[in-house]
Amino acid sequence: MSSIRSRTRARPSSASSLTQLAEGGRLEDIVRPEEGIVSRRIFTDPEIFAWEQERIFGRAWFFVGHESEIPNRGDVITRQCGLDPVLFLRDQDGVVRVFLNSCRHRGMRLCRTDRDNVRLFRCPYHGWTYGTTGELLAASGEHHYCEGELDKAQLGLIPVARLGNYRGLVFGTWDSEAPSLEEWLGDMRWYMDIIFGRTGEIEFVGVPQIWEVDCAWKFATDNFTDNFHVFHAHQSLVQLGMLPTDPDFASHGHMVTLENGHILHFVPGAPGIDAFQGLGIPKAMWPMFEKNLNPAQAQIARTHGYSAGTMWPNFHWLQLTTAGDMQAAPIGILNLRLEIPVTATRTRMYSWLAIDKEASPEYRQLSYETYVRTFGPGGIFDQDDMENWEECTAAARGPAAKRYTLHHKMGLYRATAQNWGGPGTCYPDSYGEMTQRAWYAEWLRQMTRPTNGAAGRGAAS
Amino acid sequence: MSSIASQRAEVECRAGSPLYGEVLEFLYREAELLDSNRYAAWLELFTDDIRYEMPVRTNQYLAKGAGFESMAFFDDNINSLRTRVRRLETDAAWAETPPSRTRHFVSNLLVTQGKAPNEFVAATSFMITRTRGDQGYQLFTGRREDTLRRLAEDSFRIAGRRILVDQTVITATNLSILF
Repeated sequence: MSSIRSRTRARPSSASSLTQLAEGGRLEDIVRPEEGIVSRRIFTDPEIFAWEQERIFGRAWFFVGHESEIPNRGDVITRQCGLDPVLFLRDQDGVVRVFLNSCRHRGMRLCRTDRDNVRLFRCPYHGWTYGTTGELLAASGEHHYCEGELDKAQLGLIPVARLGNYRGLVFGTWDSEAPSLEEWLGDMRWYMDIIFGRTGEIEFVGVPQIWEVDCAWKFATDNFTDNFHVFHAHQSLVQLGMLPTDPDFASHGHMVTLENGHILHFVPGAPGIDAFQGLGIPKAMWPMFEKNLNPAQAQIARTHGYSAGTMWPNFHWLQLTTAGDMQAAPIGILNLRLEIPVTATRTRMYSWLAIDKEASPEYRQLSYETYVRTFGPGGIFDQDDMENWEECTAAARGPAAKRYTLHHKMGLYRATAQNWGGPGTCYPDSYGEMTQRAWYAEWLRQMTRPTNGAAGRGAAS
Repeated sequence: MSSIASQRAEVECRAGSPLYGEVLEFLYREAELLDSNRYAAWLELFTDDIRYEMPVRTNQYLAKGAGFESMAFFDDNINSLRTRVRRLETDAAWAETPPSRTRHFVSNLLVTQGKAPNEFVAATSFMITRTRGDQGYQLFTGRREDTLRRLAEDSFRIAGRRILVDQTVITATNLSILF
């Protein structure tokens, strides 16, 4: 560990007012991803947390939900983008929309259940009424407004600045100057095709599990691209024979870093055991890979049993093959994860199960049972992860701890892989902190990029 | 069931009846096993065909029901319950190593005749406090619907357990304790 206070570094000062921390130092000094140095301060400092709200959650593409969650006209689900409540809905014309869940009059939340099916939204406070397309249909007591006091055309629900949909996954951004979702995802789409398009379409199963953990959101995020922890953090499952006893078992794969901080791993399954190939999907479905994917993608799907990917910043897939208990047969599960920050040290976790639309009832049931038993807050794998996130957060608060950085140097000097079939920078090992460093590099890039003030964020009226 | 038989069953289930007292003591003894970390003994209380489930609850208007959805925090059978207990018995189940200290409070018991002649439904309210390490309390409350099957003259086994939590967002580190 290196003491960050003992070092003085010449850095460009153009962004200094943007990154100068009240507690001393600048962001670019305390987070140096290219050296594998990440200060503990970024996990607990309220000032950094406040900056993240504007610089990340105020303008990044954020995941809202999957189209299959709102199949019918008028279906609405309430979600969060950081601290902002949002409505995820299908309007009466069938168009998917995302609005701030807040009346334009006094700011009251309009939809106050987790989901509903509506023809309109009537605010319970003063009765302002909106259509599902967002227009303000009526403000009650309109005869009490004089000419020029109420411009209804300007008072519709606040939509996200841009809305995007890739393979049914709906994202929004509050930044009207953001690149398109397709541009932002870039080559990540090539890998998303493998996960979300391998057999055609996927759908989300039921509702998400939601729970709140006393941890910094970034510790959870960091964990979802960390294969290195599996043997130790999930040691109980090794002892039960549900994971291999070789400490390197999860290392025999590849990791990939892409533009814009998107990162992922693919780990092959046990050779010769079909259950651990083909992403854990029943073998009868494997011919669908060739139909839906290009040959290089299909080859990856056929030969791997595990994949984790992060669509920067906080949305992840976990495609893994496991048994749900000591007697059960292993099966593939597709778990989607989202971390929503509540405070610097508290995070709301979302966990979904997704399944191939073409899944047989048997595969669907086994995948569901396996998911519930292994992932989510009650899952025998997942529950130990939260222990780490909370303890890492608790130990990052004090003045002594904050003088020291975390260690993200594994693989700093590792050569890239030459014969990987997909796009991006690929490394021939799934133990290493290359993906975390790529994630923090994007974090630093966004945190040191000036905000446009209120411009471009629809702050007018 | 004839109306006479059903009336008799109702009387047998009433508070103060021998059956009611027997069920109450069974539930108290079960809570005692959990609160003293005697998981292997606790596991013995379940039938091999147990379904142990905690559905995810969502926030809904009254007219749309209680909000329990087609997703669960727990959906266990006997094998997965055994796996949970075996896991807790390793020295590396970090979420419970060192263990939580729990207190299972069981109350508001109502007993009704179950579907089979030898089955009774025990509906209770529960409150579980959990504290771990030097941390404050995490609280779990809800309703439990247990199907108790009488296997011998003086003993029950739990053949079904539905844990209906009050929270839609679980404000706890995880669900590594048993309910």
